[in-house]
Amino acid sequence: MFTIGKLAAVAEVTTDTLRYYEREGLIEPVGKSPAGYRLYDKDSARRIRFVKQAQHCGFTLAEIRELLVLRRRDAACCGDVRTRAIEKKLQLENKIRAMRAMSKALDRLIADCADETRPVEECTILAALERTTIPERAH
Amino acid sequence: MKIELFYSPGCQECAAAQASLKAAAQQAVADLEWRELSVLDELDYAVELGVLTLPSIAVDGELVFSSLPTPKQLYEALRRRTAREA
Repeated sequence: MFTIGKLAAVAEVTTDTLRYYEREGLIEPVGKSPAGYRLYDKDSARRIRFVKQAQHCGFTLAEIRELLVLRRRDAACCGDVRTRAIEKKLQLENKIRAMRAMSKALDRLIADCADETRPVEECTILAALERTTIPERAH
Repeated sequence: MKIELFYSPGCQECAAAQASLKAAAQQAVADLEWRELSVLDELDYAVELGVLTLPSIAVDGELVFSSLPTPKQLYEALRRRTAREA
């Protein structure tokens, strides 16, 4: 059995993180010590490792909660988890695409600002941001 | 009309529904091109269409269903689309 401090040390997270995980329903204490401290078992440490790995792959805490539920559900199969992983990949690829578009828009603004010695009121970047759309640059 | 069903390989729900959805689409549309795409093989295309959940259905390159419709819902959506295009 671990106290919250011991569990935090074992799982390499802060006690604040553990309290947050507990509020989010990701871990729960299995009992209390005679002094009234919450106690956690080895399964909590395993769940925290699971949460950290899943966060590393981009899953939100709400999605991780669903994965943890799936892990316990008898009727669930590996395909259910795989579909969630594929959907997460789709979301990430979508974000990457959106960020590439943002980066390209910035490229255009940066390229259009040829004279950086001009006063700020003539700044082409600020002027472009005030327009409703950033013009596409001919390649 | 081109209908593309994006599925996750191994999805039992998709496999069970595919035949009835295809039949509904055939009923609704005369010039039907029906494609079943594994999202893992067509990831870039799926992202381009904005597919975020599986299974999803695109009609003529536009994402129309982001979860499996019933055959009736698909039939009605395709009929509405055909009427609009006519």
